Amino acid sequence: MRLFYAFLALLVFGGPVPAALAADASVTISSPREGAKSSPKREVDIVYEVTPGPNGNHAHLYVDGGEAVVLRALKGSQAVGPLAVGVHEICIKVVNKAHTPIGTQACVNVNIE
Amino acid sequence: MIALENLNYTVVQVAHNFGAAAIVGGSVFALYPAMQAVAVQRKLAWLVGAGWAVQALSGMGFAAVSYYFYGKLPDIHGIALAALLIKMLCALGGFSIAVLYLRHAAGWTMEQRRAAWQRLIALGVTALTAAAFLRWFA
Repeated sequence: MRLFYAFLALLVFGGPVPAALAADASVTISSPREGAKSSPKREVDIVYEVTPGPNGNHAHLYVDGGEAVVLRALKGSQAVGPLAVGVHEICIKVVNKAHTPIGTQACVNVNIE
Repeated sequence: MIALENLNYTVVQVAHNFGAAAIVGGSVFALYPAMQAVAVQRKLAWLVGAGWAVQALSGMGFAAVSYYFYGKLPDIHGIALAALLIKMLCALGGFSIAVLYLRHAAGWTMEQRRAAWQRLIALGVTALTAAAFLRWFA
């Protein structure tokens, strides 16, 4: 019970810190570029680099808001798709050890035609 | 501030780990190496019931800590999400059986008691297995 109170105290007195937490984290998607075009017959290679910062741990990749894959490598490329014809939003978000997005992300729109 | 966040997750993890030890250890010890006396079984049912409650509450604790620090819940999908749902169902089932045991086992036969403990063991083992999938598929 004492442990529970200690946990509650930490929550109460710890204070929310959302804005500062993502300060040193970053995500770069170097390919594809914003608005790049691709074919529905082939996969899209996402070339990225993630700096998790003090609060991040790894990254998640999303296609149109849905989580597509967990990126454990902080730098590299990941193929997604093939995607259907249309515009698709591809995002990479830095998450912590509990898989919670910490607020740092990068997104690009890809036009499949 | 990262230390405070990690400390919160750690406190929750400690509770979760001891809850897991209680639900599996308590259930197994009720039957093995030999079926315990009725009075001991009742104490073990309290332990196991409390363990399942701790499992459920600390599971929610992980989400609560994430929401408190980032305003978002953990982002899991696919196999990890299925594993989480299995864990939740196991907690519901395990807690329910423990409560049923504490309220009605006085009128049960030895075989009915054994069946209850076997189900608790199965739920505990399933939950711990699902936890491994949740850990590595998330």
